[in-house]
Amino acid sequence: MRAQFKNTVSELAAQDDSIVIVLGDISVYMFKDFWEKHPNRFYNMGICENTLVSVTAGLSSQGFNPFVHTICPFLTDRSLEQIKLDMCYNNFAGNIVTCGATFDYAWDGATHHAYTDLASLRMLPNMEVLHLGSKREVDALIRSQYRSPRPTYYRLSDHPHTIETNTEFGKGTVLKDEGAPLTVMTAGPILTNVMEACRDLPVNLVYFHTLKPIDKALIEQFRDTEILVVHDAYGLYEAISEVPALRMRYHGLPDAFCGWYGTVHDIRKRIGLDPASIRSAVQTRLADRSQAARAR
Amino acid sequence: MDDICRKIRSEILNVSNKSGHGHIPTSFSIVEMLTAVYQTMRHDPKRPDMPERDLFVLSKGHASLGFYCTLAAHGYFSFEDVYEFGGFDSRFGCHPDRTKVPGVEASTGSLGHGIGIAVGMALAAKIAGTKRKVYTLIGDGESNEGSVWEAVMVAVNTRLDNLTVLYDNNQSQGRCLPIGNPAERFTAFGCDVSEVHGHDLAAIKQALAKPTDRVRILVCNTVKGYGCETLSENVYEWHRRAPKPDELTKLQGELHAGAI
Repeated sequence: MRAQFKNTVSELAAQDDSIVIVLGDISVYMFKDFWEKHPNRFYNMGICENTLVSVTAGLSSQGFNPFVHTICPFLTDRSLEQIKLDMCYNNFAGNIVTCGATFDYAWDGATHHAYTDLASLRMLPNMEVLHLGSKREVDALIRSQYRSPRPTYYRLSDHPHTIETNTEFGKGTVLKDEGAPLTVMTAGPILTNVMEACRDLPVNLVYFHTLKPIDKALIEQFRDTEILVVHDAYGLYEAISEVPALRMRYHGLPDAFCGWYGTVHDIRKRIGLDPASIRSAVQTRLADRSQAARAR
Repeated sequence: MDDICRKIRSEILNVSNKSGHGHIPTSFSIVEMLTAVYQTMRHDPKRPDMPERDLFVLSKGHASLGFYCTLAAHGYFSFEDVYEFGGFDSRFGCHPDRTKVPGVEASTGSLGHGIGIAVGMALAAKIAGTKRKVYTLIGDGESNEGSVWEAVMVAVNTRLDNLTVLYDNNQSQGRCLPIGNPAERFTAFGCDVSEVHGHDLAAIKQALAKPTDRVRILVCNTVKGYGCETLSENVYEWHRRAPKPDELTKLQGELHAGAI
């Protein structure tokens, strides 16, 4: 997805002088071509995330469309106040692009894990929040949103899914509609595991790449079903909760630092986000529903 | 004291008295710095969005009262407009909002942010190939924030010779984390540093006019509450306090003593 980000932005920058790249010493080699072609619009600014965001806001204030990019928790947790005030409150736009989604840097431990970025940024007024899951989504949504008058957050991962989805901003995708009483809702790259888990189960499956604004109209279509949110981050459950009075459950992160190493797959398995565990969680909900129905 | 600076200070007192709000000593500290900037930079109060204007960012946003009165003195609006300072529906909050007040380029309040935004503005001017200059005013207390020094490093590394940082050296952090010798520190960071008497309008303007090929820092040695003995000698008591009518009379008297 990072390579797609670079390719899309490079293509756009060839036609659009307003694009400026601001890096926190990440993905620098990948942007080598961009640097060579547009040396005055490429800044590997340093490991100073607060200032990266403030500078991005300043660039935006003067009509540029900047992309600030570095590792997820360092940009979004450390610089939350700069995003909140310098971008959102000042009403300066700009594009915040992170790598290292959730457990992408599993082996680096909890300092490099990203749990809260989507949830935190979703609460900021003016913000657009995207949990991108595929290369197609990266390409389409950068193109559609990079000139947005609002600050836009794009969360990238090294483990994209390859499933065809609606790439329109603010729209979700119904991947399975069986008229079932249980609907699984998910977002981002974990769709790979969710799809595998649910493929032959009698459930509906709905996917989102845009967490803010969330596609409320689509959620309303499944209001009469029980909703099981399966997500490897915080933010989607809260976004769906904007639609009042739903019957919802969350299957995802524990309220703990996931203090293991290994790979993203190792950690997903440990916390129940591998395909088999997700399938088991969905089957449990189905069984509980059947039991409740029999009791009635 | 120059007449315009005395007028600005007088109106700061009036606004604070009428509104019940205001950081007066810190606002008094920066009047000459603000006036020097607005007498130097390209701007048009009748066209606050003039495309070719220079930009000013008040990074220490809690001195907004001094900022608003300086803008009023330069024709952006009337002093009477500012009398609604801090009121529920007022445009003039105790920290400036760029979407409400003409002439305010960035909304500030949390310390250590404005300078980074100013660096981005100066970089934008460089990329666009304009002659635009960017000015920002930071506090010495604000300079406890690490983001200030990040921003200075980035400004130096990106060779922003169109950026001027005015440093209000009013010794406000002597009680907790003093910066020591700021001129030495900024010099060590690679800036072009001048140290001036922060209440000498002509000296500040002269320093601003000096050509440079680096990030310019003006360490302005100032006194909190400068112009009123009661304020400058009782800084803590007056940190965030509005004068009552009898106190206003006394402070105006001190401010205007020896003016004629």
